Amino acid sequence: MTAFMLALLVGVLFACGAYLILQRGQIKLVLGLSLLTHAVNLALFGTGTLTRGAPPIVSEETESLGAAILFTSYADPLPQALILTAIVISFGVTAFIVALVFRRDALTGSDLLPGELAAVINTSDPFAEFSLRMKLPDAADDYDILQYELDEVYDHPESEAEVAHE
Amino acid sequence: MSLHPTILSLPVAIPLLFGALGMLIQSLPLARRLQIQQTLVGIAIGANLVVAVILLVSALTGGPVAYQMGLWVPPFGITVYLDAMTGIMLTMVGLLSVLIYPFALATIDAERARLGFFPMMLFLLMGANGAFITGDLFNLYVFYEVLLMASFVLLTIGGTPSQINGGIRYVVLNLMGSMMLLLGAGIAYGTLGTLNMAHIAVRMADAPYPVQAMIGGLLLIAFGAKAALFPVFFWLPSSYHTPHPAVTALFSGVLTKVGMYSMFRVFPLFFPWLLNSWQPLLMTIAGLTMVIGVLGAFAQPTIRRLLSFHIISQIGYMLMGLAVAMTPNPYGIGFGLALAILFLVHNQIVKTALLLGGGAVELEMGTGKLNELGGLVKLRPVQATIFFIAAFALAGFPPTSGFIGKLGLLEVTFSSGQWVIAGVSVFVSLLTTMSMIRLWQYIFWGKPHRQPLTPRRQAHSNQALMTTAPVVILVVLSLLIGVVAQPMLDVAQTAANQAIDRAAYVKAVNPELTEQDLRIAPPDLHLSNTPHPAQVAGR
Repeated sequence: MTAFMLALLVGVLFACGAYLILQRGQIKLVLGLSLLTHAVNLALFGTGTLTRGAPPIVSEETESLGAAILFTSYADPLPQALILTAIVISFGVTAFIVALVFRRDALTGSDLLPGELAAVINTSDPFAEFSLRMKLPDAADDYDILQYELDEVYDHPESEAEVAHE
Repeated sequence: MSLHPTILSLPVAIPLLFGALGMLIQSLPLARRLQIQQTLVGIAIGANLVVAVILLVSALTGGPVAYQMGLWVPPFGITVYLDAMTGIMLTMVGLLSVLIYPFALATIDAERARLGFFPMMLFLLMGANGAFITGDLFNLYVFYEVLLMASFVLLTIGGTPSQINGGIRYVVLNLMGSMMLLLGAGIAYGTLGTLNMAHIAVRMADAPYPVQAMIGGLLLIAFGAKAALFPVFFWLPSSYHTPHPAVTALFSGVLTKVGMYSMFRVFPLFFPWLLNSWQPLLMTIAGLTMVIGVLGAFAQPTIRRLLSFHIISQIGYMLMGLAVAMTPNPYGIGFGLALAILFLVHNQIVKTALLLGGGAVELEMGTGKLNELGGLVKLRPVQATIFFIAAFALAGFPPTSGFIGKLGLLEVTFSSGQWVIAGVSVFVSLLTTMSMIRLWQYIFWGKPHRQPLTPRRQAHSNQALMTTAPVVILVVLSLLIGVVAQPMLDVAQTAANQAIDRAAYVKAVNPELTEQDLRIAPPDLHLSNTPHPAQVAGR
């Protein structure tokens, strides 16, 4: 039962993380990634045998480690060690992403993901219908910052003229 | 040559030590600090190359060596493992870093250098070396993260808006690839009870197919994401054109190749039979990677964007070689892997040469946009010639290394009966040629549209030497491999034979295993050295 609940939890976390990553907005991206790392860590946790109230110590009577895992109550300490490593690594990477998002936010004044900002201001794009309902970010006035996004997404030489026209 | 096995730790230890030293002196005054950092990095990459060459020679002559860190009993400690394939990769990455270093020294701007560009190069080297040499699946994940962390910093150092943009995509998509690797390692531990790669190889033979497929699939996605294979390559073209050209060249020689190396290492070791039963899948991925990569390159308006799509395209050839590695063919089992290794080496050389050459143009002219460049052949005849040779080496013209690699891959794929993918690869070669002609024409042919930012004066001759000499050396290497092909092919063949020899790997890691434990091939895999009927007929 515990194993089933754990599997369910991992699945839900994966689903939520994937959903959040696919949304617009960078904060959702960061949150989605955190959920995904949690899901992976929990899956790792589940790979050790889930034993309750047993120390990670093999008594002297047991013949081998394999026998201990199979026949006595013994908690495998290795997955915890792996998870700890993975947590530290994902903490570092998440901190880095947050820093990147912060830098981008300072540059554009927008929470939108790379490319989406361009979609908002370029009405000739496939997202045009959606973009009409979105408020232009304050920094959209700052033409130089947005130009590179247009380059990034469309590589249209004419997009410059379009923006200038608007 | 017999060496004490502790030398196997040096490819990780040297960059770590010098990189950490370089970071420690961050409080010194700027000019003095940069001087010390650059010296440290120069010493470290030089020493790293020397160690790598020694390791390669020892692996070629003495066979594979394994060492247990801290002398733990085999499956418990961290294992490092060296064979010829590891040696080749260590040497190639060491050589590329040595060649990119002067380029970086000459062109890197003060701001990036101040933020610690040079020590970060060492950390990237450390992560790559660690990923090559480790014999432990979880340790591989950790080294991948070291490599990625260093590459994140190198990619975004300088902090221009496009770098931040590309950086976010790069970080997110690579992080998801790493998660798949972590999940694969976790499932391997949960089902097989071990993370030591030799131990996994022993136990994998008895594992039920779903377990094999699960681990194999997760590792394929994870390494595929690092190597930029077809459905998971999007991080590469959206980020590689943003950083400093030296960084792009370094990445192209190291990052995707580490992913490919891990596949070469893990698939023949863990489940060589999957290479046969999954061959249609692998061939489809390889074909789509090639075609989409090269078609993507046609639409690109700048030098480095175009070249990054070609990185993807070329990765497909290596996967093609791996996919036929276990198929019986007249040249023997493993010949596909040998050619994949040779092609990987060729690609590292030529791609780095192109990106360094293109990067030099970009830095000199102030733009990488193809329609704003042109006519450089009169201004820079040497650069134009080298770039021409490198471009046609990438396309696979004789007498360059690309010709040997592509011809061999084509030959082995045809004789393995995979004529569809062989046809696709020929078609892609044609498209690559067209794309390379287009690139060269746009940069060097026609009328000059603009003048270089800095006219070449006496003061800049040193800088010009430092940016051009590495490319010349790389192109000469490519020509050498093309001309002296047989010895190179022999080295690659030795590496491939060692890589597919699972019993030798297990024996090197744990000599106490008995013959019965080494019964590691499942019964349906006929991996003998008996010649293929076609081979006999050919004689």
